Amino acid sequence: MPVRELSSGIYELDIDDRKMLATKNMIPGMSVYGERLITDDDTEYRQWDPSRSKLGAMVLKNFDIPLESDSIVLYLGAASGTTVSHVSDILTDGLVYAVEFSPRTMRDLIQLCDQRPNIIPILADANKPQSYAQIVEKADVIFQDVAQPNQAEIAAINSKYFLEEQGHLMLSIKSRSIDTVASPKKIFKEEVRKLESGFDIEFEVLERKELDPFHEDHLGLVAQMFVDDEE
Amino acid sequence: MTGTEFTAWFGKLKLDANGEIEDCDLFDKDPEKLAEIVVELQNNPQSVPLQRADLRDAALECGFVELDEDYDILLRDVCIRAAKSQISQTDTDDSRIIQAVEALDDIDKNVNELSERLFEWYGRYFPELEMTGEGLANFVSAYGSRTNVPEDHAMSEKASQSMGAELLFADEELLRTFANNICSLYDTRRYIENYINTSMGSVAPNLCEVAGASLGARLMSMAGSLEKLAAFPSSTVQVIGANRALFKHLRSRAPSPKHGIIFNNPVIKNAPWWQRGKLARALAAKISLAARTDFYSGELDPTIKEALDKKLESIRQANPNPPEKKPEAKPQKRGGKRKSRGRKKNKKSGGNN
Ligand SMILES: C[S@@+](CC[C@H](N)C(=O)[O-])C[C@H]1O[C@@H](n2cnc3c(N)ncnc32)[C@H](O)[C@@H]1O
Repeated sequence: MPVRELSSGIYELDIDDRKMLATKNMIPGMSVYGERLITDDDTEYRQWDPSRSKLGAMVLKNFDIPLESDSIVLYLGAASGTTVSHVSDILTDGLVYAVEFSPRTMRDLIQLCDQRPNIIPILADANKPQSYAQIVEKADVIFQDVAQPNQAEIAAINSKYFLEEQGHLMLSIKSRSIDTVASPKKIFKEEVRKLESGFDIEFEVLERKELDPFHEDHLGLVAQMFVDDEE
Repeated sequence: MTGTEFTAWFGKLKLDANGEIEDCDLFDKDPEKLAEIVVELQNNPQSVPLQRADLRDAALECGFVELDEDYDILLRDVCIRAAKSQISQTDTDDSRIIQAVEALDDIDKNVNELSERLFEWYGRYFPELEMTGEGLANFVSAYGSRTNVPEDHAMSEKASQSMGAELLFADEELLRTFANNICSLYDTRRYIENYINTSMGSVAPNLCEVAGASLGARLMSMAGSLEKLAAFPSSTVQVIGANRALFKHLRSRAPSPKHGIIFNNPVIKNAPWWQRGKLARALAAKISLAARTDFYSGELDPTIKEALDKKLESIRQANPNPPEKKPEAKPQKRGGKRKSRGRKKNKKSGGNN
């Protein structure tokens, strides 16, 4: 079966002339959310459904994905871990700190953490990075999918506390959680402007694309934190 | 140039002005204790210096762990324990009542469906029996076939003259088992109601007194928690439960709906129509106050209910007669009272006396 590595740890399988996004299953035999498992030459892959994952959609939208096998990732808005499980597959030598504030959802996420050695669960509000600063180390990548009106602020303060110099911020912006009436295009523009100049840290937006048809009214964005060279 | 202190999950760090470690005071390497520290810090966040040594580097440098892997393994263990203990703490008193309220709704839905099935099913064998719901279930459970109805029973004549089919033994057993289950659901329902009544008295005594146990519990359930209910302005309390209209209002600034579940309170339901809006507003204001008092102090404050009663009375006194002009498009329908179990909508039927 033809297998192509699209980005570190992210694969495209050719099955019956259909292309399928997948990651290598870290825990062979285990399906996390009912996704298909495919074995090829002793390697088991897990199908990655882009319509259930903003990150998956970003891959198929040809974003440059800044994840490596040894990355340290801070994931904000982990929910029950659909996407986190694929990040965990990708980070064979890395670690993902998974922040989620709903206790009910965290219950499911913990079951995933019990199986996988590289996910650290944190039940906390992403608005309050001080509340988990005693746990989280410097991250190479912050991935955020919280669907909150103040998404940009949340990204900025977390970056300030936890993002490595030149680290990457990956953001999924849902226009409807910011304003249900205004046009998504306008909202996205404003959010990008905020990231570029609205906070005391600055980002350079590397890529931005809407995530349709996988997710309507969502913008995917990858940015890099600017380093002031004061010296 | 003074240094700062920062507590990490593995110990207390003293940092110099550049965020480098000057000194560290390591905690015990006991995952259970470390998890407690993590939760404690999370509940009382410290101020975090932006300039600080990386946690992993610090742990290695201070000799808390020797290898990267050890850091990962221990931190993961600690965080899973911390998250689990935080989750178990979310089983609060109000969350238990909310589960009970939701269980009540589930039972209602199911018991209605099952009762209808029993009505259809048993109707083949005794169509003249004009019973429904719990009465029917009790009847079937007690007698099974209509031939078992004792002579002194009110239905005995109808039973002997019924045009219903003969009930075979196997079907009779099945029907009785089915009916028994329905009876026990009705029992469970009463059991839950009792539970709600008693727990509301201790968990939210003021809400319970002002709104009644059942309405109070329902308001908490719809708000999500006592804390959230306490945070709502009373204008929102007034419309809780008018869901579709409410969400539309929040989303698109449509006119706010007037009829939330507090209209089920007899104080409003039994009032003449022209007083209801004012009464509802007064009730909502006191419910809001009651919820706040319950959340912040937990003590019963009898003056809330007293003030409410006074206020309600003065509204009644001030508005003894219907206004000259009826509100536009008031439905003229009368009678046609339908049993509307499960229907949230509050038709203004009857009531104008
Ligand atoms: C759209 S879902 C995330 C789905 C997930 N990224 C995936 O692809 O599997 C958004 C999640 O963010 C969580 N969330 C929202 N606001 C948050 C906050 N302030 N802090 C932490 N989590 C938050 C919600 O509880 C919800 O589970």
